[in-house]
Amino acid sequence: MGMDIRLDGICHSYGDTDVLRDISLEIPTGQIVCLVGPSGCGKSTLLRLIGGLERPGSGRVLQLGAPPADSLNPLTFVFQDFALLPWRSVKGNISLVLEDHGIRGQRSKAIIDDVLKRTKLSDFADALPKQLSGGMKQRVAIARALAVNPAVMLMDEPLSALDAQTRELLMDDLVALWTRQPFTAVYVTHNLAEAVRLGHTIVVLSRRPGQIREIVRIDTPIGERRAGDPVCQTKHDLLWELMREEARAADEELIDG
Amino acid sequence: MRLNRRQTLGLMGAAAATTLAAPAIAQNRKIVVGALRFTSHSGSFIALERGYFNDAGLDVELKFFQAAQPMAVAIASGDVDYAVTAVSGGLISLADKGAIKVIGGALSEEDGIDGQKILASDAAFKAGLTSPSQLGGKTFGMSTAGSSFHYMGSKVAQAEGVEMSFKPLQKVGAIIGALKSGQIDAWSIVPHIAKPLAGSGAVHIIGNISDYLPGYQVTTVFTSAKNASDERGQTEDFLAGFGKGVSDYNSTMIDKAGGDDGVNEMVDLIHKYVYTDRPREKAAPSIINGTMRINEGARLNVASLKDQLEWFQSEDLVGKDITLDTLVDGSYVEIYEG
Amino acid sequence: MAETEAANRPNDDKPIEVRFRGGGFAPRSLRWVGVAVFVVLIGLIQWGTQSGWISALTLPKPSDVLATFVQLWESGLLFKHLQPSLTRLVIGAALGASAGIATGVLIGLFSYVRAGLVPLVAAIFPIPKIALLPLFVIWFGIDEGSKYALIAFGTFTPTVVATYGAVDNVDRSLIRMGQSFGLSWSSIVRKIVLPGAMPGILSGLRISLAIAIILLVAAEMLGAEYGIGAYILEAGSLYDLERLFAGVVILSLLGVLVSALIGLLEKRLLGWRV
Repeated sequence: MGMDIRLDGICHSYGDTDVLRDISLEIPTGQIVCLVGPSGCGKSTLLRLIGGLERPGSGRVLQLGAPPADSLNPLTFVFQDFALLPWRSVKGNISLVLEDHGIRGQRSKAIIDDVLKRTKLSDFADALPKQLSGGMKQRVAIARALAVNPAVMLMDEPLSALDAQTRELLMDDLVALWTRQPFTAVYVTHNLAEAVRLGHTIVVLSRRPGQIREIVRIDTPIGERRAGDPVCQTKHDLLWELMREEARAADEELIDG
Repeated sequence: MRLNRRQTLGLMGAAAATTLAAPAIAQNRKIVVGALRFTSHSGSFIALERGYFNDAGLDVELKFFQAAQPMAVAIASGDVDYAVTAVSGGLISLADKGAIKVIGGALSEEDGIDGQKILASDAAFKAGLTSPSQLGGKTFGMSTAGSSFHYMGSKVAQAEGVEMSFKPLQKVGAIIGALKSGQIDAWSIVPHIAKPLAGSGAVHIIGNISDYLPGYQVTTVFTSAKNASDERGQTEDFLAGFGKGVSDYNSTMIDKAGGDDGVNEMVDLIHKYVYTDRPREKAAPSIINGTMRINEGARLNVASLKDQLEWFQSEDLVGKDITLDTLVDGSYVEIYEG
Repeated sequence: MAETEAANRPNDDKPIEVRFRGGGFAPRSLRWVGVAVFVVLIGLIQWGTQSGWISALTLPKPSDVLATFVQLWESGLLFKHLQPSLTRLVIGAALGASAGIATGVLIGLFSYVRAGLVPLVAAIFPIPKIALLPLFVIWFGIDEGSKYALIAFGTFTPTVVATYGAVDNVDRSLIRMGQSFGLSWSSIVRKIVLPGAMPGILSGLRISLAIAIILLVAAEMLGAEYGIGAYILEAGSLYDLERLFAGVVILSLLGVLVSALIGLLEKRLLGWRV
């Protein structure tokens, strides 16, 4: 049992600026779909449309099948800037998303203990965000997302605010999480290495207005991909070829186009 | 500019009235005289308009104030040379600091002439406050603690053997508002304010201050301690000019020496300074109603001053060690005990 | 200048130490300087008044002010004056600040309220509240009502402005996070907007409460027999400089106390700030 997402002819614009044009896409259960593209191509906007934080200009976002019965928040975001409440402890940040569902006391504690264990944060339950490093903060955000048992995780450049080493470590953590219990995710990034490492499917968007340029599949199981792996390297190079021109053109555009 | 023109007009008027040649101005010393726009300050207005100050060799500039308190401070700071005001705790305190001296008397309570009235609010009146003997437990309006209102109210209460609470309201306007709306029960004030208020029905006159404080020296002439001790000539000149103005006022307004024509002429003169925002026909009754005797020759009732000083001391408003000599320089005018 | 030029010369092989130029512009905590300024100033005034170089009319002797203060304390009059003043301050400021915070939050949350009230608040803000005192006396009576109203009104407007500014400054990404987790509107307001606006609200409160103390004197202009403001006004009208300064010192201390209390509150509530 699972829930697929289908995008059906999504178009979107801000004022006179077209941001997305005719995006149709299938996000199957249990897979990670990466969205890559040059900056300003509308990939984050697309994620917000999927998550219902914005309304598409035209086209529809459809849920196919029911989310798991115990899913508190089927479509759950992980943000680039972590979006942790600085006045709540690690524990408090997670209980925040449970309180509204009436989960308190012992049940809440059980869930929090579980997600903290899965993200290796058990020792930091009472720490405040200001005491944590960037990587730890993002792990708290991921733990918070896991706590609501999402059907689909919507990850908006979750590693972009972190330094290279932390990014590597956290990628390993994400791979381990997925391997233990596969989840569905839409993963937005501008970093091709992340896409190649984590994506079952990689969707390349063109520069603004964003359109689907190419869909690349990688069949190597996520758990077996390694840096320097020839298949991954080939895919990485292919993606870079696809994106190079777009990225250059996007870079040379005036901001207000 | 305006004052200068007025001065010139005054000079011309004086010249016409006395059919004298343009007065020879010996020294023409410039002094500043402080005044409030009340009829009780008419002595200064008349002396200026009729050229009595010029005759005394003084070139007087009138400076107007909204209240007595800043005027006393202006004397202490040297911005104003002479002024007339009620005795208050502030005045005594400034004298104690060696800043000012009382040199003469002005307004007094006197038998047979309408003096200050005790007023009750309509609400309190209807509830039975019809005479000062019922003031017990009532609220009495005053500008500030240590003001002449505080003194009067306290003395009345003392004489009636009752206790009142005093509400400081800073300004006369605020007291009138509070009295009209029944926020306070009672107050005392000069007749030209008391009578129109009572006429409107919003307040009631329930007694006279003169019944409790006969001979009360309400206002005094005062100057800086420096003027009093070092500028003897100038101070005498000022008192001479001022005294003539007072004399004209008393003889015209109280003794009616010039008949109705005299009164009218005097009202015209005073109206240049008092109630200037009202047309003459509306101002005239208020000016005439407000007539109170101003002491001839600025003579000074030291018995009243002594009583006031002792009251302020008994209320712990001013220092206990202040003597009458600190407050008064009695060398300029006739001293009496009334 | 000469040194750096010399250092830049390529064929000069004598090493020159790089000149330090990063000083200043970094505030350090030097608490004793403030105390020293006070001590020197008061000492100077004491010496000046003692020697007659400053006349009794200009400034009172600091030692006399202290004596007046001690006398106030010993006679119990201090508390007779403080008690009504503090009551007025607490009730007035509590009314004004809570109404201000509520209004500010509503302005921050609802566009219609903002469009309707922001111009009104801007119109009310610059009115000297003292000018409205006679009106308040008619509306709320000459006793405590008008005093509470004046202080409440005076604290209300700055609190509103600080609060809606603080709500506007709450990190939008946190609100978006709340929405993305399906939090209810009231949960977002209670758990995200209000705590997020707290720093701005508290710093606004610092200003509002200082204004409340200023207005205390104004509020006690009409019909107050006891109170620090009434005491100061009475001292002013009696030209009693010792009492005037003693009263002013009490107000200053009150201001320091309020500021310290807010500091304490900030420490407790805003410990999460980086």
